[in-house]
Amino acid sequence: MHSLTLLLLLPVIGAIIISILPSQSTLIRTAAIAFASITLLYAISFIFAFDTNSSALQFSKIVPWNTRMGTSFALGIDGISFPMVLLATLLCFIAIIASQSITERTKGYYLLMLLLESAMLGVFMAQDWSLFYVFWEFTLIPLFFLIDRWGGKRRSMASLNFVLYTMGGSVFMLLSLLVLFDATPGHSFAMDAMLEGARALPEQTQVLIFLGFLVGFGVKMPIFPIHGWLPLAHVEAPSPVSILLSGILLKMGAYGLIRTAFMLPEAVLSLQTFLMVLALFSLIYGGLLAWRQSDLKGMIAYSSISHMGVVLLGIAALNISGITGALMQMVAHGLVAGALFLLIGLLYERTHTREITDYSSLVKITPRFAVFTSLAFLAAVGMPGTAGFIAELHVIIGAFEQWGWTVLLVSIGVMISAAYAARTMGRLFTGPSHGNMDDISDLKPVELFAASILVFGFLYIGFFPAFTLDLMSASTNNFSQLFMSLK
Amino acid sequence: MNEANSILKAFVWLIPLLPMLGTLAIAIGFISGKNRGESGEKQTTLIANGTALLSLLIVLAVDLHAIVIGIPGHLELAQWFSSGDYQITLSFNLDTFALVMMTLVAIISVMMIRFSVNYMHREAGYQRFFMIMNLFMGAMLLIVMAGNVVLMFTGWELAGVSSYLLIAYVYDRPIATQNATRVFITNRIGDAGFIIAIFLSFHLLKTLEWNEILSSADSLSPLGSNILAASFLLAAIAKSAQVPFAPWISRAIEGPTPSSAIFYGSLMVHAGVYLIIRLQPVLDNAPIIMTTLALIGLLTVAYGFFSNLVQTDVKSNLIFSTTSQVGLMFFSCGMGWFELASWHLVLHAIWRAYQFLHAPAIMHMMDHKTRPVHPILKRQGWLYTASLQRFWLDPMADWLLVRPIKRIAHDTDRFDERVINRLVGLPEQTSAITSIADWEMHKSASEMSAAEKYEVSRGHGIAGKILENLADMLFWFEEHLVLKSGGDGLLKVLNIVGHYLLQIEELLSQPRYLILLILITFAVII
Repeated sequence: MHSLTLLLLLPVIGAIIISILPSQSTLIRTAAIAFASITLLYAISFIFAFDTNSSALQFSKIVPWNTRMGTSFALGIDGISFPMVLLATLLCFIAIIASQSITERTKGYYLLMLLLESAMLGVFMAQDWSLFYVFWEFTLIPLFFLIDRWGGKRRSMASLNFVLYTMGGSVFMLLSLLVLFDATPGHSFAMDAMLEGARALPEQTQVLIFLGFLVGFGVKMPIFPIHGWLPLAHVEAPSPVSILLSGILLKMGAYGLIRTAFMLPEAVLSLQTFLMVLALFSLIYGGLLAWRQSDLKGMIAYSSISHMGVVLLGIAALNISGITGALMQMVAHGLVAGALFLLIGLLYERTHTREITDYSSLVKITPRFAVFTSLAFLAAVGMPGTAGFIAELHVIIGAFEQWGWTVLLVSIGVMISAAYAARTMGRLFTGPSHGNMDDISDLKPVELFAASILVFGFLYIGFFPAFTLDLMSASTNNFSQLFMSLK
Repeated sequence: MNEANSILKAFVWLIPLLPMLGTLAIAIGFISGKNRGESGEKQTTLIANGTALLSLLIVLAVDLHAIVIGIPGHLELAQWFSSGDYQITLSFNLDTFALVMMTLVAIISVMMIRFSVNYMHREAGYQRFFMIMNLFMGAMLLIVMAGNVVLMFTGWELAGVSSYLLIAYVYDRPIATQNATRVFITNRIGDAGFIIAIFLSFHLLKTLEWNEILSSADSLSPLGSNILAASFLLAAIAKSAQVPFAPWISRAIEGPTPSSAIFYGSLMVHAGVYLIIRLQPVLDNAPIIMTTLALIGLLTVAYGFFSNLVQTDVKSNLIFSTTSQVGLMFFSCGMGWFELASWHLVLHAIWRAYQFLHAPAIMHMMDHKTRPVHPILKRQGWLYTASLQRFWLDPMADWLLVRPIKRIAHDTDRFDERVINRLVGLPEQTSAITSIADWEMHKSASEMSAAEKYEVSRGHGIAGKILENLADMLFWFEEHLVLKSGGDGLLKVLNIVGHYLLQIEELLSQPRYLILLILITFAVII
């Protein structure tokens, strides 16, 4: 019995239950964890029913919604969205577990977290552009409050900034959608119907429409130069929210872009070089700025830009290795950035500082932190044996097939990431003891559990990538074949 | 015959392996603390003698087999490794000469190991000594038995290493370690020749097996056979201490007496001769090398003879006479008298081993008196000086090779430190921080300052500086354009617009403007 609607509604049910609990109750956290884990387990159970050989939509459910407008409530998953759904449920579970430090207004917090989870799942499962757009915008509401009410010092600015940026991008996306809707013969928002309409358009129009989408999704991804919201939002958001922000929210942008690329292949083909340049620039730009940061969270935020540059590069390569690498990198970065924000967040709760220079010699005091954080940083560099390596390797192979030696720049990006990862590890864990952090406690069992899941995740994929690759293979094949036939 | 050979194949590899296993067993015992100190001597002795003896027994069995059934010849046991058409087998070449040599090596080694039990009693490093002796025995057996060049080279190197270890047996004496290093390096020059020879035989003959090399030697071009022979010759003269490599052997007697006996008196010094004799078919086609061989032999004979005349201690006497004898063997090879050379080799090995072992005892028995200067040397003063100085071979090598290399090394080091390290961004060695403790001292001296924050994103070396500047530039761009005018700027614009709208709203809420607006509306409608 596998129903995507149930999966979508599970967190909502949790949110409703939380809303009727008394506001100071300790039950709230328990209920939130319970529903997050049920959702996670339910999502995992889909693995056994998921057919990896088919590139078609699976478990799809279509209910006409507004027939005059051509909208419908259509859900479905394929090899591209299913890994994202798994990632989203996993990271939400981790984020909720890691929310121990949120002690005030817990009711609102957990309620919003569960709503956010539902909205994100909706984005990945929607098979109708109108539904997609609704969920897309709906993620903003919980996020706005989560950052604005539980964030750091400059939280109001960060939340407003974030919403404005995303809304601004969404306007372009909406415009493109409307133009497409107009061009679709059956006047429908259903993804497959729009797909046919879109592919019939002349190349010029396709390019314009694609550019609209690119702005909309590029803000979320983010792509240079429309990433202005990200450093502030990541730094100011409470750590569990940062996990979700960089772990899943960024992937929504990339996911949308993949769907759009599939819809407007000719436009992507003609913009291929442009996308490559953007990707490489983001990659190096993000890396260099991450290196320049002395704020730990800021550093991870900028490193996200760099890593998402790899995703964009993979997409732009438009071949099987590239798209596989892009998807892999989305999963890998979700796990790695999740782990990093989790660990740094926990560290921040103990020390109340994010300045790298305030830390030193932690390996003596908090060996568990040291081990896990080092592993996470190594994974961020894409060390062989971690998921990032599989991803970057695929992307580099794909990009090399497409552009040849230009991808040398990717290696420079990787080297820069190695530079800041190694520096940060050195700063945090080695060196002389400052004496001011001698009494901070190491990871507690719950935190250890959360961190180990993520670390296990990226190590497992790093050592045994076959399973994850299988999950994606049919859809990525389908994707690359489309472009092979166009070339 | 084949069946008999297959039985042989099952055991023959144990001959060189058993002594080496003995080494391993003693080493394991020592590491685990089982046979340390005097109490462990018995166990060590048992292992060393047992494995050596067992090896000898197998050797004798093989001999018996050869006498009864026939010479086994070339035995190929297994493939060691292969890469492309490069293939190395585990094979043994048991022809008559190898059998004789094998028996000789095994017997002398076993006797020497047995002798050492008493000689080394209560010496520090007793276990170490036997480990090395056993290793040497295995290595030597490997040299004489090896069926291909690479396997022989393995033995060749192991013998070199054990020789190094034994010369430096008393490793706390600077002279011993210095001599050991010198000997080892001299030997390495010969090894280079051996490696080139391996390459050449693979390149020219497409094989590394002895039997194939020797049988196809005739097919080589004159140039090819000369070069091949020359490379092997280099290896041989270095191992057998011929001029100009001769001085190493007098340094080598630094080791304990039994080891001098087995290594330099009787076995290892003959390895070169063995190699030359084995190479007979190749040498037959290389007349130039034959002449060189004879010349080197003669020179060495002269070198050994004259140097010997001025020696006053028995060990040096013996070693120089060994040198001249081996020189004679080379000379006979050079003249083409390989048969003679092999007889000479075997007999000399036995005789010299006996002499070396006997030397300390002779010294005890003899009424020792300094020998007068030989009449030849008396007449020729320069020859006397030259002999005393051992013909300046060592200083010459120093002047020609050691000092220039040292100077180049020094310059490269300076270059590395002054230029490369700075470019790469490594700390200079002179000011390098060598330990965490140093670093902590260094740090606490200059407390965390404001510069510390800058320190986080500071690059070292050229790449680091480029990175730093690029990052600074992008950071400025990010701060001013993306964050300030992008994010914050957006808010600011909204605020201003909102402010104006509010004013308009306020104006509109005043009755006169409202009425005006209504009037305008009417006007438009009408």
